Amino acid sequence: MLIRRRTLLAASAATAAVGVASPAIAQNYPRRAVQLVVAFPAGGSTDVGARILASLAEKDFGQPITVVNKGGAGGQIGFTEIARARPDGYTLGFLNLPGMNTITLDPERKAAFTVDSFIPIVNQVLDPGLIWVKGDSPYKTLADLVEAAKKAPGKISACTTGILSDDHLAILMVQEAAKCEFRIVHFDGGAQQLTGVLGGHVDVAFDNVGGVFKRVQSGEVRGLAVTDVERSKFLPQVPTTKELGMPTVISSSTRGVGAPKGTPADVVKVVETAFLKAINSAEMKEKMDAVGLALKPMVGAEYAKYYADLQKQAAKYTEWALKMR
Amino acid sequence: MESLGHLLSGFAAALSWHYLLYAFAGCTLGTLIGVLPGLGPAAGTAILIPLTFSLDPTGAIIMLCAIYYGAMYGGTITSVLINVPGEAASVVTCIDGHQMARQGRAGSALGIAAIGSFIGGTLATVALVVVAMPLASLALKFGPAEFFALMVAGLCLVVGLAGRNILAALLMTVIGLLLAMIGLDPVRGAPRFTFGMEELFDGIGFVPVVMGLFGVAELLLAAETRQARMIEAELKTWLPTRQECRDSAGAIGRGTVVGFVLGLIPGVGAIVPTFMAYVLEKRVSKTPERFGKGAIEGVASAETANNAYANAAMVPLLALGIPSSPTIAVLMGAFIINGITPGPFLFTEQPALVWTVIASFFVGNALLLILNLPLVGLWARLLKIPFSYMCCGVLIFCVIGAYGLKQSLFDVWVMLGFGIIGYLLRKLDFPIAPAILALILGPMMEKSLRTTLEISGGNFAIFLDRPVALVLLAVPVIVIGFILLKPRSVAKLRESDVE
Repeated sequence: MLIRRRTLLAASAATAAVGVASPAIAQNYPRRAVQLVVAFPAGGSTDVGARILASLAEKDFGQPITVVNKGGAGGQIGFTEIARARPDGYTLGFLNLPGMNTITLDPERKAAFTVDSFIPIVNQVLDPGLIWVKGDSPYKTLADLVEAAKKAPGKISACTTGILSDDHLAILMVQEAAKCEFRIVHFDGGAQQLTGVLGGHVDVAFDNVGGVFKRVQSGEVRGLAVTDVERSKFLPQVPTTKELGMPTVISSSTRGVGAPKGTPADVVKVVETAFLKAINSAEMKEKMDAVGLALKPMVGAEYAKYYADLQKQAAKYTEWALKMR
Repeated sequence: MESLGHLLSGFAAALSWHYLLYAFAGCTLGTLIGVLPGLGPAAGTAILIPLTFSLDPTGAIIMLCAIYYGAMYGGTITSVLINVPGEAASVVTCIDGHQMARQGRAGSALGIAAIGSFIGGTLATVALVVVAMPLASLALKFGPAEFFALMVAGLCLVVGLAGRNILAALLMTVIGLLLAMIGLDPVRGAPRFTFGMEELFDGIGFVPVVMGLFGVAELLLAAETRQARMIEAELKTWLPTRQECRDSAGAIGRGTVVGFVLGLIPGVGAIVPTFMAYVLEKRVSKTPERFGKGAIEGVASAETANNAYANAAMVPLLALGIPSSPTIAVLMGAFIINGITPGPFLFTEQPALVWTVIASFFVGNALLLILNLPLVGLWARLLKIPFSYMCCGVLIFCVIGAYGLKQSLFDVWVMLGFGIIGYLLRKLDFPIAPAILALILGPMMEKSLRTTLEISGGNFAIFLDRPVALVLLAVPVIVIGFILLKPRSVAKLRESDVE
């Protein structure tokens, strides 16, 4: 009788302990180093932003945050890795949008993940698109470029940093809004775009502010338009597509931190708090200003809405792009 | 000549004891990274970036650049000693370097590599000082069409690597091209030959393939002969003999030129100059049959071109802010993290920094020489370890290297698989180098052709408009025509048919 009562007591104590332990998991997190998977190779702008964020967030996070590069296939390899990781909060991912979206929307890529495979936690950077030409190019404004494209459909060459990148979608948006046609050339990254346009091989480049803002400031290249609702603080002299009468041409590259689906909500909260603090810190602002990356912290419902809206926008233009090929 | 003034003040700064220390640390770390196979300079530099956060920007850059060209040299050590290329560009050094080690001349091989690297690197930096800006702008004119033509010309060099069996070389080239097709198609982004395996989306992985074909295959062959030691021959000398130095002088000169010129063109990558320098050397040699069997000119030309390339590749980075290769992109990322954005404005905005960095290139090259020459004996001693231990050690080394690339076991299996394939190919006397060259040049060729046609709207006539591209395309036509028309070559081809 005594034994049974003791067993009963032990059993109920254990059950109570389990009940109490669940919220305690978050208090035990993080207990060891956390990996931040970046789906692009080391040294690129995504990687630079991620490393700065990781080093600043580490301080409050309490544990080391190691950046791991899993580049390749335009990010697909890295995103797959994040989607497949154990949702215990020890593997986080750096989400590049709309890069991740377009991969899910292209049936030939047979992506092993969907937009729902990730929990968007906190956004770091919103790098608006920039349409630029060589400094001594005959096109002085976006209107000049569009006019030239209308006069010679399919002859003015416009380059991107990759197939189905945000740049590619931006070109399609301009074509739709201005009813013109460009000859689209795909490069592999911003460096090739620079050699392509500065060397006179391609007429115009669709890129992002962060990649070339210093060259616009120095006059080496000319910025025709920023594809955003408001002017970039790094390039106040460059008009937006909205001002120029193309309010539908809104395109940017956003990068933020996410986790695989299924990561417990309290773990997500800990991550959100730590990273948000790092993003809002003065040091982060200083470093991001130096590289021309605009910070746009978004968390919770705001980020989730942005995430969903972007998927819709990407779907429309990706379908168009896929039809073209 | 104000550049000279700037340079002198740059030297004064670079030779201060703490910058000297950073350069030394960088060279050492870089060499170690180069020695570890799989952990290429790109990944290694990326890992070491946080180390530089606590340094001032100039110091950080000096150290990172030192790591970069240190890694170029480090790859040579394993290539020569155990036939495992430490990094992609060291593949060519394996061909003659390891053969030299087998003949007991590892000291000469490593020594001439160090000397050649020093001369090539220093001369390239001198040229950088003198002609950086104008040449950089000129290099921009080299567009996708010219790039494609260069790749085609490079692929035709395969004929120069053929040795006796031209047919076998061509066969291996085609196989290399087929392997290069694996992965995501550059036009549509759709998977090709991937059999549903995501690991193959980025291609079959050049480093595991090379480590397998060269390193693992070599181990298998050696294990078969049941030798007691990795390399039977006694180490004759620690340094190259006078005669060997004299023989290599021409090779070093030509290697420097080839390495420097190709280093100016963004996107070329380190392998192309090393292969080209090697083949050029073989062509101008009076005794080409020695190549592949331990010709010191082979090692000298490849290594010199390698370091000349590494230093010259700084030109597009510093002058234009355009990274030439993935490794330099990592370097650029490191610069940016440290608050410095490379580009033409850097020369005017921060002249002191730029010239101190350039001065440190000279210092770094010298340090590399001082660091490595004495160690040659030490490295060569490693070969005295009994083969049974050495074999296991090298295999573990290779497996860790292959795994370390992307933390994926798939790469390890690829390496082991190609090790077996490499063993069979060596037994059947098929040359492996053409397949490697095709594996590298294939994707670059395809992408540049596709980009060229996108620019021209699908019109092949674009090549007729571009004289440089036409000249480069004419080279392979001439070379192949020459080979086919020479009666001796025709007899060789007939011979290989019969075989």
